[in-house]
Order: sequence, then structure tokens, then C-alpha cells
Amino acid sequence: MLELHNAALRLGDAPLFSDLSFAVAAGEVLTLMGPSGCGKSSLLAWLLGALPPAFSATGELWLGGQRVDGLPIEARQIGILFQDDLLFPHLSVLQNLLLAMPPGPAAQRRERAGQLLAEVGLAGLAERDPATLSGGQRARAGLLRALLAEPRALLLDEPFSKLDMALRGPYRQFVFAQLAARGIPAVLVTHDPGDVPPGGRVLQLADYQESAHV
Amino acid sequence: MKKRIASCLLAALGLVLPGMLAAKPAATADWAAVSREARGQTVYFNAWGGSEAINAYIAWAAAEARKRYGLRVEHVKTGDTADVVRRIQLEMSRKHDGSVDLLWVNGENFKTLKDGGLLFGPWAEQLPSWRHVDLQKPVRVDFSEPTAGLEAPWGTAQLTFIADRQRVSAPPRSAAEWLAFARANPGRLSYPRPPDFHGTTFLKQLLLELTPDAAILARPVNEAAFARATAPLWAYLDQLHPLQWQQGRAFPPSAAEMHRMLADGELRLSLTFNPNEAANLIAAGQLPASSYSFGFRKGTIGNVHFLAIPGNARASAGARVFANFLLSPEAQARKADIAVWGDPSVLTAAALAGHAKAATAAPGALREAVPTLPEPHASWVGALEREWLKRYGTR
Amino acid sequence: MGQCRQCLPGALAIAGMAVVFLPVLPGLLPLAQGLELAVWRGLLADAQTLVALRVTVISSVVSTLLALLLALLLTMALYPGPRWPALQRRLPALLAMPHAAFAIGAFFLLAPSGWLARWLAPLAGWDVPPDWQTVRDPYGLSLGLLLAVKEAIFLLWMLAAVLQEGALQRQMTLARSLGYGRWQVWWLCLLPQVLPRLGWPLLAVLAYGVSVVDVALILGPGSPPSLAVLAWRWLADPELALQARGAAASWLLLLVFLLLCGCGLLLWRLLRAAWRQPHGRRWAGASWQPRWLAWPLLGFCYLLALALLLWSLAGPWFFPAALPQSWTLAGWQQLDTAPLFTSLGLGLASAGIGLALVLLWLECGPPALSRWLYLPLILPALPLAAGQYHALLMAGLAGSGFGVVWSHLLWVVPYMLLTLYKPYLEFDTRMITLARSLGLSHWQRCWRIKWPLLLRPILAALAIGFAVSIAQYLPTLFAGGGRFATVTTEAVALSSGGNRRVLAVQAMLQLVLPMLMFALATLLGQWAGRHRQGWR
Repeated sequence: MLELHNAALRLGDAPLFSDLSFAVAAGEVLTLMGPSGCGKSSLLAWLLGALPPAFSATGELWLGGQRVDGLPIEARQIGILFQDDLLFPHLSVLQNLLLAMPPGPAAQRRERAGQLLAEVGLAGLAERDPATLSGGQRARAGLLRALLAEPRALLLDEPFSKLDMALRGPYRQFVFAQLAARGIPAVLVTHDPGDVPPGGRVLQLADYQESAHV
Repeated sequence: MKKRIASCLLAALGLVLPGMLAAKPAATADWAAVSREARGQTVYFNAWGGSEAINAYIAWAAAEARKRYGLRVEHVKTGDTADVVRRIQLEMSRKHDGSVDLLWVNGENFKTLKDGGLLFGPWAEQLPSWRHVDLQKPVRVDFSEPTAGLEAPWGTAQLTFIADRQRVSAPPRSAAEWLAFARANPGRLSYPRPPDFHGTTFLKQLLLELTPDAAILARPVNEAAFARATAPLWAYLDQLHPLQWQQGRAFPPSAAEMHRMLADGELRLSLTFNPNEAANLIAAGQLPASSYSFGFRKGTIGNVHFLAIPGNARASAGARVFANFLLSPEAQARKADIAVWGDPSVLTAAALAGHAKAATAAPGALREAVPTLPEPHASWVGALEREWLKRYGTR
Repeated sequence: MGQCRQCLPGALAIAGMAVVFLPVLPGLLPLAQGLELAVWRGLLADAQTLVALRVTVISSVVSTLLALLLALLLTMALYPGPRWPALQRRLPALLAMPHAAFAIGAFFLLAPSGWLARWLAPLAGWDVPPDWQTVRDPYGLSLGLLLAVKEAIFLLWMLAAVLQEGALQRQMTLARSLGYGRWQVWWLCLLPQVLPRLGWPLLAVLAYGVSVVDVALILGPGSPPSLAVLAWRWLADPELALQARGAAASWLLLLVFLLLCGCGLLLWRLLRAAWRQPHGRRWAGASWQPRWLAWPLLGFCYLLALALLLWSLAGPWFFPAALPQSWTLAGWQQLDTAPLFTSLGLGLASAGIGLALVLLWLECGPPALSRWLYLPLILPALPLAAGQYHALLMAGLAGSGFGVVWSHLLWVVPYMLLTLYKPYLEFDTRMITLARSLGLSHWQRCWRIKWPLLLRPILAALAIGFAVSIAQYLPTLFAGGGRFATVTTEAVALSSGGNRRVLAVQAMLQLVLPMLMFALATLLGQWAGRHRQGWR
């Protein structure tokens, strides 16, 4: 469960929004939409703990009953998927996954990583250079990496926008299925209404801003 | 192939050089013709440029030469005269016109140039100013090597030590006292690292005092004589070095650096080839006013420094005219002035009478009469430096 | 790059570079005498050689590794963060400080009678300087340490270029979201990507450390000096046998350099193997970020410049006084301005010619050959300068202004190319396509579109070319036949003398000239872009 209480975001002196609150249940995907510059990506950055210094934010972020907004990124256990897969180019696909996994006996970790790769249809690609993978394969490996770190919540920053139309639909379903299976709450930022999961809640940030002004 | 290139170079040197001397007729033309030829020439005067006082003096002389003789003199400030010698060698081996017209030189470098037949002349004794030169001074030998008119004397020098009265009231006045002083002041004595000119001179000074028979130093060196003559020197240095600054593992790079270290109290004694150096430095604010000069009881090494013209000089007439001016009583008196440079003159006292100022009265200058000891033969320099480097160069 | 299909400009570009680079090769022939066995025996029998070699190895290895460590530590501490751009803005001024001026300032600061010791003197009760070897120690450690500080600035500058890529910053965020602290992210994810990009700059640092003469004369030991200084002295000796020994020592320098490169490569291989096995352990407390880490480095450089300024204005100032007994402008008033103007002329000429050559090359030269043009940066300078000198002698141009400018170009051109290469490569080709569709010819496109848009990198390249020319010591000395007194040759010549005031004045000039040029480049760039916000 991810909860946001009374969040407000300012760029310098200009308020972007204020008094924003929401809660995302385990396995649920909340979609944030709104025009460019409304602060949705900045909100995501703040949730992650990587708000650029030009912005300032107030509010409380709770994760599974623990307040985390004061913690550095690495202590929050919040994962993120960007537009680019950002697989580390100096590591193989497998090494990218091993990097994300919690420590443990080496053989066991490799086995589990291989198993998961097979589950998502990437069997046999473990030792490949990420640069030689197709866009869809890279996207799946990227999600797998994020999930292997066992996050308590996942942020999705327009993760589908760079994929071909043909790949987009299946990958979307794949992501939502994985999140639901693991019971991970997620916040999705997108411009494309087609990205919203079936029956998912949508928060229009611009509306919210307007309503807040009323 | 590589061998061929090297031997070609050598052969070229051998072929070209003797011809050079013959090709240039000795300076017999009368002075008026030389002066006419010199007008409008540019003289590249290669001289050590490490002292602002000397540089300023040369700049003055260059300005005067321009005014009086329509001569342009460019002071090429050199670090090590050996570089210039090498350049002359290379240029002449390739039959190039010279980049050097006049050069400040003495000792080993002169001997190299003379032996290689790389010099213009003889010309020195045909200069009008020659008649003022004090022939009592060793102006016709350069480190026991006859000058043969291939270089004109410019100034005299005598090894002189400097101390600060605030720290040293009774300075050492012999090699033995120097060692005793080092024992009393461990870590506070040193000398410039040979082959620095001053460092090598200090070695020669010690050698003159320590060697059993100083007479053999006046003759060209040979292995047996060297071993016999220098054995006491190495024994002495073996004792001295551990008592020196940095336990003798490091040496200051130059006498000028030693003056600075003396001023800061890092060293107790410094040395110079100019009896007026301390006075100069006090005037320039680089030594405390309580500094003074002194010599060894039995005397210190003295020599003359010279001006020479390479065989391939482009402006040999201009070089002679400028050298003649540098030898004039007016220029020599100015050079001896503490406020200017303070380099003692090579001219007779009579010639200077009209121009001389009260040079030796300046505070800090050498006020005691120190006997002048002759330089060993120039061939000893290289031998001493090599042996020193072998023994102490890698500590 | 290389859209030009005309043969003539391409040939011109190649010819221009050939004139700068190729004559060095026949000039190297006389160094072949240093390949004879007998000469090598003489070299190895000389007691100084091996000790000098030790100095060279220690100082160059220390300078390279420590510079890398310093630069990386600073980067890790500050990037990403608000202090990183602030540091980046200060780099060009520090980079413009010539090595010799830096060395002289460091000497003023750190010598046993230096400024720091004077501050300590009342506390330690010193009335004379301690008999220490804070500089010029026989192992060359102080030489290596101070070179490291100077080279760290260069490496930081190169790192700044690499880190401008947004992907690295997002990778950092992503890796942290996986639970790794910033130091561990640096170690696991960024270093393996950044280090290979630092390969060439590191080689340049190593080559500089191996063959540096001016800094070694100022800060290095004397008995014996480093191998480069020894080789340089031998090459300049009137005795032919010693000249041959100098040639052999030059080859030895090259050999040492190659061996050290090999060691570096080995080290890199080992490191890379270690990265290949991510174990997944997260280090606790690894988010510590010492943002103050830049201050010691910057403070040292500023203090050093302040020491130079103070000494250039000082009257008598003896140990242990912390400040001069009196002040004087004599050093500046009695300044011989000839070297200043010589430097200025040489710098402007070589930067101007260098820019023309580099632009021509980037437009029309074969890109495949570009890497060869960096060779002078990663080869020891001593044999190259000696080769240039021989070439000039053969052409009868030694000691001419043309010869000196030409000799500087061998280092000016690669540095300018290095500065311009990336902006040129990243230039938006759509602009050119657009210009073609408007019917502009190739040179019109360059002149009206490309070069104006690249004005800032071009100005920066000019300033860097100028600074590189100002700092040249060996080529000026060799090619100029000693006739060209520049602020650098003056400063190094005076550094063996005792007059700190005159020395400080020359070092200040050496420092101020390139800085003025950098300031000018920045101002011009800002002025040109004053009405165009999108023009960067």
C-alpha cells in the first residue's frame, strides 16, 4: 500500500499543485495524466527521492505503514521504469539481473535469474550484450530487473512510449500482470489514454490543480 | 645504417671545421671598415640570463650600441652555455649560418669551441679597447688554455663566500675549518650540485687546498695524476656530505638558489664568483643587510670570463663592435658599479680612473684582500664532474 | 563530418596535417644513433640512469594513479549534485594555469622555507626552515604528488564532458532505486562505463609525467634528476657520445612509457573481471556525500596563485615572516615585456593556424585518420621535440619564428581537435540537411550555419590552443634555438635563480595570459548569444 498525504510541489516560487492525496493498494496501478509541465514527472521524481534541486515539496509518503519521504532513494525500496530500459551497457543481461537481486548463494541466484528470464520469454539471452537485444526484449529485461530488486512499490515513467505500437499492447499487459501477481502498488505517468489498465483509476493532475484552486 | 649516420656527422664535422678557420681571414681589416660593416647589423648575444642585474646591464649596453653604432643587439638569455656550444657545433656541421653572433663563455666551453675550430678570429687583441686591458690579470689564458685572441676578456671573478653576521660571526677560512663548521652546524651547509659552474668551482677550491701537489693541476689531466691528486678530496667529501643539508643526498641547483636559502636561514653559508654579489643582493632586498663576504686565508680561485664569436656568426663585425664597447672604460666602470652589476673590471685602474665609482665601499661586498689562486687546467673540470657524479650523483 | 565529396579540400586537409606531423619522422632519424648496443651499454653503465629511471617511474605512476583517484573521488562526491556544475565552471581557469606556473606556485607554498612553513613556524618554534624535503625529494614523490593535483584538473575536465550525458544520471537514479548507495553505484555502474572513456586522457597524463622537463626542473630532485631531464641534458651536451646517450635515453623513456601502459591495461583487465560478478550485496551507509571535497583542491590552487601574487609584490621577505617586510612594484615596473609579447604572438599564431587546420580537417579530412592526430598527446614529448629540432635544422628553419609556431602546432592541433571533435560530431545534421535544401553550398553552410552555431566550442578551442602554446617549454627551446624567450622559458630559467620576486612576476604572467584568453572566449560567446536563448 502506497499512500500520499497532502503533497504540494513548487518550482521555485510557482506552485505546481498542492494538497494532493491518494492511496494505491497492493497490485493496483494508479495512472497520473495531465499536460506537460503540470508536475506529474516531478511528482514521480519526488516519490522516488530524486527531486531536482530547483523544486521543493511538502507532504508525507507512506509505504506499507512506514513513512519514507525522508529517506534517500536507495533506502525507499521503490523501483522505477523509465522510457529507456537503461540496462547497464557494460554488463550482460544476466549480470544486469544479478545486480538487482538480493545477495545469496551465487548458484541459486543464477538459477533463479535464468528461470525468470525463461518465464518472460527471454530464455537463452542471459549472456547477451543488452545492446544486441530487440526493443521489446530490452523492455522486458528492464522490468525484470526492477522486480528482482523486490520493490515495495514501482513507478512507471512513460515506460511504453518508446515501444512500437505492435509491442506496446503485449508489453503493457505483461507489466500489469507481473505487478498484480506480485501485489506491488504502482504509479504510472503517461500521455496515452491507451496505457491505462482496464478499470484502473486515473488522476488528472491538471484537473486536480484546478479543483484545488476552487 | 645508424652507425653510418653518426659517422657521417663526425666526418662532416671534421671536413668542415678546419676549413672554417681558413675561410675567414683573420680580423686584419682596419677598425673603420669593421665599424662600417657593423652598422645596421643585428647581433645575437647569447649570455646567461639568470640574473636581472646582468640582464638590465646588457639591455643598457644594447641600447647604447644602437644609439652610437646603429647596431641592434638581441640578448638571447641562455640557461646553460653548453647548450649554445652544442647548437654552434650542429649548425657548423651542417654549414648553416649561425644563430649566435657573440657569446659569453669561458673554461671548458671555450676549450670545446677552440679545439673544434668553431671560433672566429683571432680578433680580440685588434680591438681599440684592448689597450686599456690590464695584462697583469690572467686575460690571455682561460683555465690554463691560451686564448690566442679568439676571445676577449669581459670581467673577472673570484670565488667568494657569503654569510649572515646575525647567524655566523666567525666564518670558516680553510677547507679544514669548513668541515669543523659543518660539524658545529649539521644540516646547514651545502654547495651547488656539480656540474653547476659554482659547484664545480667549489670542488676545485677544495682540491687546490687538499691535493699534495697543486702544480700538476695546471697541466692537462691524465688518469694517474687524477687519481693521485683527487684522493684526498673524495676522502674529505665523504666526511663532509653526511653533515650537509639533507645529509648530502640533495644539493641546491645553483648558487642563486643558495643565496635564497641563506637569506631564509636554511643554509649558513653561500658562495659566489662575484666579490660584489652580496652587496648587490642586499641592495635588491634579497639578502639581509647583515650579510657579508669573505674568502679563504690562503686564497680562493679566480678567473676571467670572456666574449667569443662563433666561426659561422652572421654579424661578426657587429659582434666585434659591441665587444669593443663592452670593453670600453665607460661600460666596464658601469659594470663594476654595485648599483648596476658589480662585476669587477678587466681594465687597468688608470683606464677606469675617470669613470670608477667607490665600488668596494658598498655594504656586504668583499672588503678583505684574498689572494687569487689560478684555475686548474680546463681538462680537469670534466674529469672532476664525472667522478663526482659517479660517487655522489645518485645518492 | 566528411560530407565533403570534393577532392581538393580533402587533399588540403591532409596536406595541412602532414606539414605539421610528418617532418618529425625524418627528424627522429638522428635519434637512431641511440639504438646502438654500445650506446645502451654506456647508458646503463651510467650510475645516474637507473636512479633517474626510478624517479621517472615513481613520479609518473604516482601522478597518473593519484590524479585519477582524485578526479574520481571528487566526481563521485559531487556528481550528480548542485556543486558539480559549480566545480565544472571553475575548471577552465584552473586548466589554463600552465604547468610551470603551477609548479613555481607549489614551490613557493610547500618548500621548507615556503608560505605554509612560515605559517607553521610560530607554532613549531622554527626560526630557520626545517631541514625537510617537502619538494625535490630524491624519489620524485613530491613531483608526482603535485603533478597529480594538476592532472586531476585535466581529468575532471574530461570527466565533465563524459558526464554531460543524461543517460548516466538516469542510470544513477535507477541503480539507487535498486537499493545501492551512491558510492556503490559509482563503483558498480558508472566507473565501468566512465573509465574506458578516460583511457586516452590517462595515457596523455602518463606520457606527460614520463617526459616532463620544466616541472621536473622546478619540483623534481637534482641528484640525479628524472630521466627526461637527464636525457634532455645529454641531448644538449657538446660531447657527441653524450648526445647519443641522450638519444638512447629518449628511447628508454618511450620504452618505460609503453611498459607502464601495459601495466595499466593489465590493471584495467583485473578490475573489469571484478565487475563481472555482481553479488547483490548492498553496502550500508554508502550514501555519505562529502560535498566539501572540492575545497582542498580548489583552495590549494587559489592559495598557490595568491602566493605567486604576493611574492611578485614583495620587498625583502625572509623566513619566518608570514608576510613581506615591505611591498614594492619594482618587479612589475622593471619587467622585460619582450617575452610577454613573444608568447602572445606565438600563442595567437599557433592557435589561429591550428584552428584553420582543425576546422578544415573536421570538414574534409578522413575521419579514420583522426585518431593518429592525437598521437603527440600520448607520446613522450622529449623525442618529438628533438625530432622537430633536427627536421628544422635540415630545412634551415631552426631559430625562426615560423619554426617555433610549427613546433607548437604538434601539440596545439591535437588539443584543439580534442575540444572540437565532440561538438562537431554531435552537431545536429538536420540543420545541414535543412541548409542544403535552402541551396547553400558546402562552405556557405559552414560559414553561415555550422560555425556560428559552434561558436562557443570554437572559441573554447582557440583559448585551449593558445594556452597549450603558452605552456610549451621544450619545443620553444629546441625549435627556437634559444632565441625565443617566452614567459615560460623565462620562468623556468629564473626558477634556478634566487630572486623570487622576478620569478613570481614571470609565473604570474604565464598564468594570466591564458586566463585572459579563456575569459575573452567566454565573454565573446556570451555576447554573441545575448539575444538567442536557444543558441548554446
